[in-house]
Amino acid sequence: MTEPVDAPVAAPSPSTRLLLFCVLVVATCGLVYELITATMASYLLGDSVTQFSLVIGVYLSAMGLGSWLSRFVEHRLVNRFVHVQLIIAVVGGFSAPALFLGFSVLDDIRPVLFAILIIIGTLVGLEIPLLMRLMPGKQQLKDLVARVLAFDYIGALLASIAFPLVLLPWLGLVRTSLLFGSLNAAVALWSARAFVDQLVRPRLVTAQALIVLLGTLSCLIVGGEIETFGERQLYESPVIFSQKTRYQRLTITRWSDDVRLYIDGNLQFSSADEHRYHESLVHPAFAAREQLASGPARRVLVLGGGDGLAVRELLRYPGVDRVDLVDLDPEMTRLFRETPALTELNADSLADPRVVVHNADAMRWLEQQRGGGGGGGGEAGLAPWDIVVIDLPDPNNLSLGKLYTRAFYRLVRAVLAPDGVAVVQSTSPYLSPRAFWCIVATLDAADMHPLPYHAHVPSFGDWGFTLAARSPLRPPPGLAFELPQPEALRFLSPELVPTLFAFPADQRPREVEINRLDTQMLVNYYDQDLHSFGPLTRRAGS
Amino acid sequence: MGLSRRELLRTSGLGALALGCNRDDKPSSAAPRFTGQSPERGHLLRSAALLDAPIDAHIRAGVVIVGGGAAGFSAAWRLQKLGLDDFIVLELEPEIGGTARSGVLPRSPHPMGAHYLPAPPRECSELLELLTDLDLLVGYEHDGTPEYRSTAICAAPEERHFHAGTWHPGLYPSDGQTPAQEQQWERFWDQLRELDRVRDHDGELLFRLPVRRSSARLRGLDQLSMAAWLDEHGFDSWRLRWYVDYACRDDYGCTLAQTSAFAGLHHFLARGLEDTREDPLLTWPGGNGELIASLRARVDLGARLKTDHIVYAIDPERGQLRVRDLASERSISIEAQAILWAAPRFLLRHVLPRDRDPLSADALTYAPWLVANLELREPPGGVGATLAWDNVPIIENPAARNLGYVVATHQEGRDRAIEGGAVITYYQPLVADDPAGLAQHRAHLLGSDARGLSEQVLGALEHMHPGIRRHLSALHVHRWGHAMIRPVPGHLFGGALELARAPIGCVRACATDVGGLPLFEEAFYAAIDAADWALDRIGRA
Repeated sequence: MTEPVDAPVAAPSPSTRLLLFCVLVVATCGLVYELITATMASYLLGDSVTQFSLVIGVYLSAMGLGSWLSRFVEHRLVNRFVHVQLIIAVVGGFSAPALFLGFSVLDDIRPVLFAILIIIGTLVGLEIPLLMRLMPGKQQLKDLVARVLAFDYIGALLASIAFPLVLLPWLGLVRTSLLFGSLNAAVALWSARAFVDQLVRPRLVTAQALIVLLGTLSCLIVGGEIETFGERQLYESPVIFSQKTRYQRLTITRWSDDVRLYIDGNLQFSSADEHRYHESLVHPAFAAREQLASGPARRVLVLGGGDGLAVRELLRYPGVDRVDLVDLDPEMTRLFRETPALTELNADSLADPRVVVHNADAMRWLEQQRGGGGGGGGEAGLAPWDIVVIDLPDPNNLSLGKLYTRAFYRLVRAVLAPDGVAVVQSTSPYLSPRAFWCIVATLDAADMHPLPYHAHVPSFGDWGFTLAARSPLRPPPGLAFELPQPEALRFLSPELVPTLFAFPADQRPREVEINRLDTQMLVNYYDQDLHSFGPLTRRAGS
Repeated sequence: MGLSRRELLRTSGLGALALGCNRDDKPSSAAPRFTGQSPERGHLLRSAALLDAPIDAHIRAGVVIVGGGAAGFSAAWRLQKLGLDDFIVLELEPEIGGTARSGVLPRSPHPMGAHYLPAPPRECSELLELLTDLDLLVGYEHDGTPEYRSTAICAAPEERHFHAGTWHPGLYPSDGQTPAQEQQWERFWDQLRELDRVRDHDGELLFRLPVRRSSARLRGLDQLSMAAWLDEHGFDSWRLRWYVDYACRDDYGCTLAQTSAFAGLHHFLARGLEDTREDPLLTWPGGNGELIASLRARVDLGARLKTDHIVYAIDPERGQLRVRDLASERSISIEAQAILWAAPRFLLRHVLPRDRDPLSADALTYAPWLVANLELREPPGGVGATLAWDNVPIIENPAARNLGYVVATHQEGRDRAIEGGAVITYYQPLVADDPAGLAQHRAHLLGSDARGLSEQVLGALEHMHPGIRRHLSALHVHRWGHAMIRPVPGHLFGGALELARAPIGCVRACATDVGGLPLFEEAFYAAIDAADWALDRIGRA
């Protein structure tokens, strides 16, 4: 290592340049981990000012601790440096996936979060002094400090610009953290090769570095969060849970207090306004039923609605002593029975002893209830029900479209009590008017006397529902008399209920064909309507 | 459309390479084999060996039904419905079903032959009654529309066709048609509309089911071929002609030129035109075999159903049958008051005394079919329209045409569909202009091994799905020597069918073929008429 003494600042040696590049990379990595942790903290815990302040404070003090600890490192400098890099690569690289995973299984994520923060902070604080001491030969202290700190801060600048503008939108948290983990591992590998003459047991250390690099890289490439990229574009808020079940991808996002559920990328509810949707779905049916029946509704069937939010509304009625909920996906109902953040939303409705969950295809299950050739196991002969709530995802594919066909509504009619009322989530009369009126017409074709209405749900837009029964219904004048505490509702009031049934001029019924099982017009209507709206549509997808 | 893109990739470079390797190195898991009806069993009738065996037992029965397919079980249903329990059903094969037989692969049951039934028109009240009995017709709307069990309604999308490398919805190749072709297509349907649901002066429908109950007014069309009818009306669009040719092959196993014009029009008109008719197609994963199975369950024959029983001689005057139980190798003599021959009519002459059959040996002709079931690890995709129930290639060369494939797993609910993979049924009628050509096809079916025939099937499917071999986990080949009665010009109203249906002593033929058209409805009506005749005979006896 020969460095011209007469030009100490202007012309550093090639290996010094590489080391300075190392400083840059390491500094960038350090700040990226800090930003990842801070972002995760504010995503998962809400209140971003507090979270960012806490994270920065804890991280900086941990760095100080690391710098102070560096004085105790005296021997095997290169070995220490490489190992510090490798630990940062592992802990930092897997910080985001670990936090996502932790959030879905742990009650409180904070201990894990701060442990990760302190480990990374301490090690990052350690590595810059170590790097300085690794710098070759006879540099003056002033030059050394100037160069290293300059690159350190340039790295920080790079990270703080790249993180919000490039990394987060394009890679997402998980892949960003894995990418920088790989960079740390690459630095470790490079320094092990560059300082091989100062390394104790060079082969072992090189092998360790290689293993870590391969590990982070392969997770980056084939890891389970390949869809992060797509999801980050789709979801406006950070994803806190995402699982591919046998049937669908369930994704939960959270931004502060707003929890949202997506099925296959389509928004199902936002906790900010789901009460508007679910109150509008459930309560008019009970109110309308009082036109037909004398006693209170006792037995209720929910088709779909595995989030338990409609059930929460149903259970307000003391007369209801049995709720059968049929949802295809056992993972969905399990999630909403067991995850605290979600059971808080549905008031633990799925654990209520009155509620019986059946995980089955709704159409097959109804065939079985009607008797005869439905096939499959399970309890049969549960019909009839006084109220049937049909809360299924929008008909954006043929297999969901089946559950909006005349044949399906005939099955519903067959299991509905003569004085019972069904209610169908019917897509938006504004965004997908032909789909909405197709559902209404299909119910009519199934002899179900439809009565459409709508309510404003900000996260969906103007949303449509249809009441249906075996005999004609009039708009109910208010809420059901059986509802014990009407003032406990957050959206509906007795005065509001009748107004839901009025449609403005631009939402008049459309000329549509009905949705038959063997033609499935509805899926076409839905797709075409939503395409004509383009990016406005939230529940559109696939 | 991710799947289609993947499929495209597969079909290019890498896919083809892997395919080549697969073909050479791994013949194992998907080794094709024959299942279903065994040609050898039927051919036992040709040998004299059975006649020499001594009779081991004598039994009696009021009515003996020979054949456990659509006709046999329809006859049994009718007899039971009218209060007669003293009958037995003899089936040659170990399994029931006849040409509507079902098979099973690990992924799904599947048809081996007939696989759907259009919901019957209102005038077919007896058939509607059957469907009600089988719990398939679950009720009627206030306007009289029948309501069918949702699991049996063929779900959308029903059809797509493969043309110029792309899948298109529906069956008519409209993409790229000229205005003149479009006009012909419209005019064709206008012509049909003029005949739709039209009745003669006596109130008889011009086209109805069973075909023999059609009005006499247009029966002259039976002398004409469908090709000649199209010529006569100036229909020369290849697209329209392909479409009608497809319909003839699919329903009758005949080309345009081989199909009677009456039969060809009957296909479109017998149930009312599709564009005005709301009634669905009924289908099941296992095809019509499931219909037969529920008929069997409904009739509940118990020991009165005897499979593996070959009838090798009948004395029509004394009502005596000689039967061999192939399972226990016993010969049985049965004495019956009436014998319903619900097996193919051409076999009857082989069991009757010499020269006792008034029908000449070549009066009826039958189309051989090659059918195959393929179990696939991934459902077939393709560029363009999504996978449908019925998937049909447009092939210009008439000699190379096949009917594509039907997806047995199409009717699955969301809970089953998730399992991935599919079972598809490939259909190919082997068409020929004359009996010699048909005999040649039969010889080909009999002479080829399963691998040879499976190559024929795979070759046809690769035209649509070049990578299909890589997803194949099983391939079953079914050879049908006499799958369908052929409604060639002159067949329906030329007198042969009356002769074929006419009782011979106490024997009456009642399978699909004596109805004249290869349809479930024909089997059903031939069988219930024959059952009524048998009851009449017993009453008189």
